[in-house]
Amino acid sequence: MFETLRLETQGITKTYGHLHALNDASFDLRVGEVHALLGHNGAGKSTLVKILSGVVHPDAGSVRIDGEEVSPRNPRHAQDLGVALVDQELSLVPVLTVEENLRLGSRRAVSSADLRALLDTLGLEHVKLTTLTGSLPIGEQQLVEIARALSRDAKIIILDEPTATLSEPEIDRVFAAVRRLAAQGKSVIYVSHRLGEVLTLCQRATVFRDGKVVGTKNVADLDRAGIVEMMLGHLPEFRTGSEVRTPENPQHISIRGLAIPPRVPTFDLEVQGGVIVALAGQVGCGASEVLRALAGLVPNSRGDVELGGVKLSLGSAVKSCAAGVFFSPSDRKEEGLFLTHSIVDNLVATRLARVSRGGFIQKSKQDAVVSKLLGLTGIARERRELDVGVLSGGNQQKVLVARGIDQPNSKVLLFDEPARGVDVGGRADIHELIRGAAEQGNVVIFHSTDLDEVFDLADVIVTMFAGRLVSVRTRAEATPAAVLTDMTHGEGEISA
Amino acid sequence: MSTVSDVIPSRFSIGGMSTGQKITILVTILFLAILIFATVTTTGFYSVQNFKAIINAAALVGIIAVGMTYIVISGNLFSLSVGTTAAVCALTFMWALRFGLVGGIIITIVFGAVVIGLQGLLVGFTGANPIIVTIAAGALQEAVAIWISGGVSVYPPDNGPSFAFLASPLFGIPFPVYVFVAAVILGEIFIKKSRFGRGLYLMGESPRAGRTAGLPITRLTTGAFVVAGVCAAIAGILIGAFNQSGTMTASGTLTVDSISAVLVGGTAVIGGRGSVVRTAIGAIVIASISDLLLLRGYSTPVQLLVLGVIVTAVVILSYLNSERAGRS
Repeated sequence: MFETLRLETQGITKTYGHLHALNDASFDLRVGEVHALLGHNGAGKSTLVKILSGVVHPDAGSVRIDGEEVSPRNPRHAQDLGVALVDQELSLVPVLTVEENLRLGSRRAVSSADLRALLDTLGLEHVKLTTLTGSLPIGEQQLVEIARALSRDAKIIILDEPTATLSEPEIDRVFAAVRRLAAQGKSVIYVSHRLGEVLTLCQRATVFRDGKVVGTKNVADLDRAGIVEMMLGHLPEFRTGSEVRTPENPQHISIRGLAIPPRVPTFDLEVQGGVIVALAGQVGCGASEVLRALAGLVPNSRGDVELGGVKLSLGSAVKSCAAGVFFSPSDRKEEGLFLTHSIVDNLVATRLARVSRGGFIQKSKQDAVVSKLLGLTGIARERRELDVGVLSGGNQQKVLVARGIDQPNSKVLLFDEPARGVDVGGRADIHELIRGAAEQGNVVIFHSTDLDEVFDLADVIVTMFAGRLVSVRTRAEATPAAVLTDMTHGEGEISA
Repeated sequence: MSTVSDVIPSRFSIGGMSTGQKITILVTILFLAILIFATVTTTGFYSVQNFKAIINAAALVGIIAVGMTYIVISGNLFSLSVGTTAAVCALTFMWALRFGLVGGIIITIVFGAVVIGLQGLLVGFTGANPIIVTIAAGALQEAVAIWISGGVSVYPPDNGPSFAFLASPLFGIPFPVYVFVAAVILGEIFIKKSRFGRGLYLMGESPRAGRTAGLPITRLTTGAFVVAGVCAAIAGILIGAFNQSGTMTASGTLTVDSISAVLVGGTAVIGGRGSVVRTAIGAIVIASISDLLLLRGYSTPVQLLVLGVIVTAVVILSYLNSERAGRS
């Protein structure tokens, strides 16, 4: 029974332009198995998930479910074929009841009694069908999401990073549910960055790298080091040695007991200006929250933060900026840039006081500032009046990063995923901008989920996992394997 | 690496104007067509007297609409009680004339700025919906004003200063028209050139991005409402002077008319775009069309109907345009 194949893919290839998102990927899934997909961002696992759930179509290759060749045309068709995707982001409607959410978009007639039984099997005996979904804790919502997938009579359930935003007791309940599903003969594809979870929960693991399947192994034969080795493969050459920056007046930040409920219980760090610090961790590790709290964007954050001995009051973006803390968010479209405003407007948005006199914008001052920043970013001067929204992602990101740098009053620069969605050339330019800012004596802290970026830019690598700081290493001491291991497990890990 | 969209500057490509610019141009063309039509077909339209009447009618609504433009650009939709505040300010001015003409004007303007500014403070600080806040504030103002005045008109003090010039022509043109022109020029320069104005445009496009960039959201929102308050107070003073008394019924359709002027002018409802000059054009267009309908003998309901159709058309046009822009 266990050796029966529920799903088999052969030679799946998907290209976007010149990029092989997935190259000749073969993979199989047994009945009653929990199978992990592992790999870096962009390794190809998301593409495989999207193909199986009908979101994208492969250029070549075959998919068989229970021995029959299929090609999921769209998510609804995939649902009919018995494939259900539980996305990282919850897709439940908070103002509807649990039952309404379970029925939403379903094409099958299921009785309320069956839905009730389904919730019970997931350990949600105490949750009423008439409860408003939004009133449930996030972990229980995640379980309702899984129940929804099951109510579609799914044979294959894909869980994409199901625990990234959950607390430990909530994770335990998801685990119990997954084990029960497997015992019932369902097949589960488990996408996760958390190696501990994979070792605890899964029977087999398939590792992706650069769009290819590196291999599939029994988890019983693997340990952390083994998985990390498979994920890393041959490493690109990292720049060696640390250039020593000796700025004239280095700034200094001391963070003590920074608490950002509910994700980060406590966080401590001291950073000297001129040093670039990476907060390395996966989605949900808490690094983003730390940066946002320092930027004054998290109202209920508490803690003792001092800039050069002066206390920073948390919770007000205006006060943080006035104190010299500048932040580039990871979501440049939603909260970073003013897309229908010009490059000029965006570049000076953080320094309106500096380009004004007597309350009015001085064109000469504005021109001087903008010319200098355009020179640093390498964006052509003729484009300065263009709306930022029409620029390529790389240039948008350059504008966002440039907006925070070269301010006479700056002390601390914070970058959340500074090179997100940017090609290699653009990334090098952005990193150069950030190094320049460190040379001026600023404290620079950035968060990245990307190991290459961490090693390219950071002087000091701080790893985080599940809201806690795991380790602090200089780049000279750090090895990719050690950093990746810390990013994917950490102190707070569940052992079951 | 450059993409195609990087290389072609969108605003120079065909049809690459902003939605607001297109609407302003469209409205202007439509307006000129109506003017020509009216001149040819309607007796009494093409006369100095009538143009004076039009610009005079546009002036009071236009002054209020200048302030409304600040609120719309700041991304806080509209105030639904500026008309009420203008009427309350007319009352206040009549009462405050006992402190002399200059004193009366200053007291009234400060009063208007505080009343509407407080609403802005509430909206900016708590993130409350501006429509709801301003409706509530409107009811409150009306109630308090009627309570204090006893529901009757307020007249200036017997031995008070003369304020007749506020309502009489100067060089043949009614005084409010000068105020209107001054409000448009100052309002346009201030929002386009000042640091405050730049902040309003940025915040209007994206309050979240504004917060991340360190813009003082509460202060900017309050500021936009204060400007609207000053404008409403000035209009209230002129209304009081014209009627030689203050009464709550003077608020009439001022709020709706000023919103219409902003929309017909092509300032985006969603904020972040637009201009005071466009609003002035909107106010004049609406006044001309009302005047034309009046001269041709149409009743008030028909005038309202036509205004409703124009505003609806502009809203639909700007929606279609932004949809197309969103897809490209």
